[in-house]
Amino acid sequence: MSDLKLVDIKKTYGKDTTVVEGFNLEINDGEFIVFVGPSGCGKSTILRMIAGLEEITEGDFYINDKRMNDIEPKNRDIAMVFQNYALYPHMSVFDNMAFGLKLRGKKKSEIKRRVDEAAKILGLTDFLTRKPKALSGGQRQRVALGRAIVRDAGIFLMDEPLSNLDAKLRVQMRAEISKLHHRLGTTSIYVTHDQTEALTMASRIVVLDKGQIMQVGTPKEVYDMPDNVFVAEFIGSPAMNIFEAELRDGQLYIGDQSIVLPESHQKMLRDSGYDGKAIKFGVRPEDIRETHTLEESNKSTAFDVEVSVVELHGSEIMLFAEMSGREFIARVDARTDVSVGDVVQFSFDMEKCHYFDNDTNNAIRKKEAPVEEVLN
Amino acid sequence: MNKKTKNRISQVIMYTLIIIMAVIIFYPLLWTLGISLNPGTSLYSASMIPEDWSFEHYVWLFTDPRSDYLTWYKNTLFVAFATSILAVIFVTLTAYAFSRYRFVGRKYGLYAFLILQMFPVLMAMVAIYILLNQVGLLDTLWGLILVYVGGAIPMNAFLVKGYFDTIPRELDDSAKMDGAGHFRIFFTIMLPLAKPIIAVVALFNFMAPFMDFILPRIVLRSSENYTLALGLFNMVNDAFANQFTRFAAGSILIAIPIAIVFLFLQRYLISGLMSGSTKG
Repeated sequence: MSDLKLVDIKKTYGKDTTVVEGFNLEINDGEFIVFVGPSGCGKSTILRMIAGLEEITEGDFYINDKRMNDIEPKNRDIAMVFQNYALYPHMSVFDNMAFGLKLRGKKKSEIKRRVDEAAKILGLTDFLTRKPKALSGGQRQRVALGRAIVRDAGIFLMDEPLSNLDAKLRVQMRAEISKLHHRLGTTSIYVTHDQTEALTMASRIVVLDKGQIMQVGTPKEVYDMPDNVFVAEFIGSPAMNIFEAELRDGQLYIGDQSIVLPESHQKMLRDSGYDGKAIKFGVRPEDIRETHTLEESNKSTAFDVEVSVVELHGSEIMLFAEMSGREFIARVDARTDVSVGDVVQFSFDMEKCHYFDNDTNNAIRKKEAPVEEVLN
Repeated sequence: MNKKTKNRISQVIMYTLIIIMAVIIFYPLLWTLGISLNPGTSLYSASMIPEDWSFEHYVWLFTDPRSDYLTWYKNTLFVAFATSILAVIFVTLTAYAFSRYRFVGRKYGLYAFLILQMFPVLMAMVAIYILLNQVGLLDTLWGLILVYVGGAIPMNAFLVKGYFDTIPRELDDSAKMDGAGHFRIFFTIMLPLAKPIIAVVALFNFMAPFMDFILPRIVLRSSENYTLALGLFNMVNDAFANQFTRFAAGSILIAIPIAIVFLFLQRYLISGLMSGSTKG
């Protein structure tokens, strides 16, 4: 059981390649943290720094308030699952799982008990004598997990452990890892570039880009209230539609299309000084609806467009269309009868819309009232 | 021309090539074997298939009091085993360092390995002679072993380093997380996985002392220290008593230990050791 603290972590290679900068994060005991970001955003590097496989250039890293920067990986009480499994090919499944325990000088009976237990949890009991090459991808991944479990370490690190599995197996293993976390309650850090994994598994998501934290929050927070355009576009599939827009007289102009904003939004934007300025307007595909399905209050934003692509995803349909030269995607019910070339009337669900500053790309939100005011 | 005739022609060409190669390899071998079974010592009266063959030369080599053959054989085996074992140890350690550590001079060290191989051993002869003389190892088998092992490092370390590079670094990382240090990783992860290339290094370095003539010629002075190649050469080089048939018998016997070591090592010369460790 461990909590972690990363303070102003910086990682550079050579003199001028900075991979991670100003990274601050506190992770509580028992949390399942997911680092998510595009490839090359530094997420794996941070994980390897936590593991002790990479040196920390600057900053401090604590586990249970003990500074760990210069502690050897083996003394950090961390177990890690690698993207490529990294099983020892010349050892049987049992030996693979027992290796770490043997090195720690555990008794034979203790090792056997722990490996058997882990094998039982992961359904590997029948494969203990096999070599890794005689296992399927999913089984190998389980062995890699098993190797981490038997260690009974304070922290689990997982570096894209599911990226080599096929789609079906991935969903299955995702659920198993979640179950495992509930069962063991070990503090876990999971790295992925797949936002679905992040949303489904995390207790908190850390969205990263170019070595910097874009947002930290629960999956719901990150999805519903993205702090900036990057998070808005990265989390959610298909991505949030972002329109270049301009605010004039309480109306939002996207090209020549005008949208009447709700009073509260108008006030918030005016108060923040955006009247007459260009902003970015974001709306998720599921919040662009066919007008007739919406309540009366939202119908003011109705506009007609021609559908250019129809993608059936089983339970829902993605409709591609253009508004003032900007393509967007709407997610509608699969029972909707729309085909390419049809003109459909859409409306935005204004309660779920997002506004971003045009220069900083940061979300524009209602300024929270100072605590004293609320109390008074 | 249809596909079938094309196939047939290419098969004929392939088999012809194989037969030519086989003749080139086996002809001298059969001759040597034939000569070794001929009675008498003359090269000129010998034939490839002797009419009245005998093992007298083989018996002579091992039993005649004038023959040092057994001593040479022991010397060579000692040098071969020592060279093979020491070379494997030094080569793999060097290769591990070059494959897994990043240090100043790593790149140029590798270049140096490559460049060193471009110079023939002959160039170093004088230096080796002087060096061994200074440290008092001239005319000793250990002196010879030292030179062999030293010479083996650049060439073989390059080979083994290349092989180590193909072993995924994640295995090292994983072992590190499991609590292993560098030596543990080297012995329990790298060496077992590098068996094929280690077998090659061991075999080559085992064979070298049996084949090499020039180095022993320079380092070894007294007959009781000779290795096989040197001793046998002196048999045919002797101005007064050319013993070609005995020479042939002695040469044939060289193949035996090499064949045994090869048969022992060949089970490690298998591919696919690494399969299953990581996703293809």
